[in-house]
Amino acid sequence: MAQVSAGELAKLAVLFERHHRSLFRYFVSLNRDRELSEDLVQDVFFRILRYRASYDPSKAFAAWMYQIARRANMDRGRERRGEVVGIEEFTTRHGDPASAEAGPEEHAAMGQNLELLDRALALLPKDKREILILSRFQELKYEDIAAILDCEVGTVKVRVYRAMRALEQIYFALEKEKAS
Amino acid sequence: MTCEDIKPLFADYWSGTLSPEDRARVEQHLEICADCRAESKRLEALWRNLALLPADEPDSALRERFYETLSAYRDGAATGAKPRAAVWQMLSRIAAGIALVTMGAGIGYGLRSNQASANEVTQLRGEVNNMRQLVTLSLLQQQSASERLRGVSWAVRAEPSDTEVLDALLAHVNHDPNVNVRLAAVDALRPFASNRVTRDAVMQALAGQTEPIVQVALIDLLVDLKEKDATEELQRVAVDHLADSGVRERARWALEKLQ
Repeated sequence: MAQVSAGELAKLAVLFERHHRSLFRYFVSLNRDRELSEDLVQDVFFRILRYRASYDPSKAFAAWMYQIARRANMDRGRERRGEVVGIEEFTTRHGDPASAEAGPEEHAAMGQNLELLDRALALLPKDKREILILSRFQELKYEDIAAILDCEVGTVKVRVYRAMRALEQIYFALEKEKAS
Repeated sequence: MTCEDIKPLFADYWSGTLSPEDRARVEQHLEICADCRAESKRLEALWRNLALLPADEPDSALRERFYETLSAYRDGAATGAKPRAAVWQMLSRIAAGIALVTMGAGIGYGLRSNQASANEVTQLRGEVNNMRQLVTLSLLQQQSASERLRGVSWAVRAEPSDTEVLDALLAHVNHDPNVNVRLAAVDALRPFASNRVTRDAVMQALAGQTEPIVQVALIDLLVDLKEKDATEELQRVAVDHLADSGVRERARWALEKLQ
């Protein structure tokens, strides 16, 4: 760590500004724990500093960063083994989710739909949730997701589809439960 | 194309990122297959709504913590683990104060032998070392990880014979809740490496460590120290199925290096 140059630290600050929000969202979506997610974001940037020599500049930086993020999350998961946060303990986090152009009724309906969708996402098995976060929230290319998850591009596409199917099933189950 | 061929293309179809050929194939299939058409429509609505879910924003404290830690690293990077300028200024003021008092005493007592002034210099050096140790140990006990990191960068300036600082560093390598502090503590052990106790402790730390990134740092340190006695422990790690695959690989690499 003593060999880190001032220039490299300045670069790390640029990377932090560019990526810390999306990394935070990734960790919160996976773990549903804000405090833990903030620790993990911090952890990722200092791992980047430590492992900077292993980055291949011909590959996408985001793919490499999320590989580190996954690793950090797994390491932390091992430390926290046994601590499972129930869905009821997870505080809902929405401000105003509806889109601006909707009228008041659509607005309310959309808000409810999104709340339900968020709950469904939280109930999705972790691997399925992760692939949707990477493909939909982080808008990573399939090639990058394949590198992050260490699988083929074709496999990523199939897994995104399966995750969407599973999400749909949970979503409709929640909707039914609400209606009854 | 069968339903199974089409489904993996759905997400790109909804996002409008399919090639014109694939898009035409999906559309053709949807025209003739009512099941896929209905499914695509339902899932597309969810896919669109996913993008509307509000993003969680981190607290501003995250940025503050990041820059605090970064500045602790920067201080370490500037002159090989030099503590913050302000702390150094404080230390040099204390040292200058001690020197003035000593000088004043010297003038007051009049003539003194060379031996006596040499003793004073030694005493003064001892005082500065004590102060350095005090600051290091106190920073290492702080709640905040970035303060502890600062403590680690102070530790590098301790006397290699300072067993109290060495013990504190080893405790942080083994038990600090923050991985970054553990890593920095591993690096800070280098000046203490001539000490047999340190080398043995590094091997013990490797045996007890569960954090892969710290294990790798410990293995690297053993290679840098050319610690031949580590062979047995490295062999154990290299075949330990509970260890991370990257750590096993690093242990094998280290064994080759040490041969």
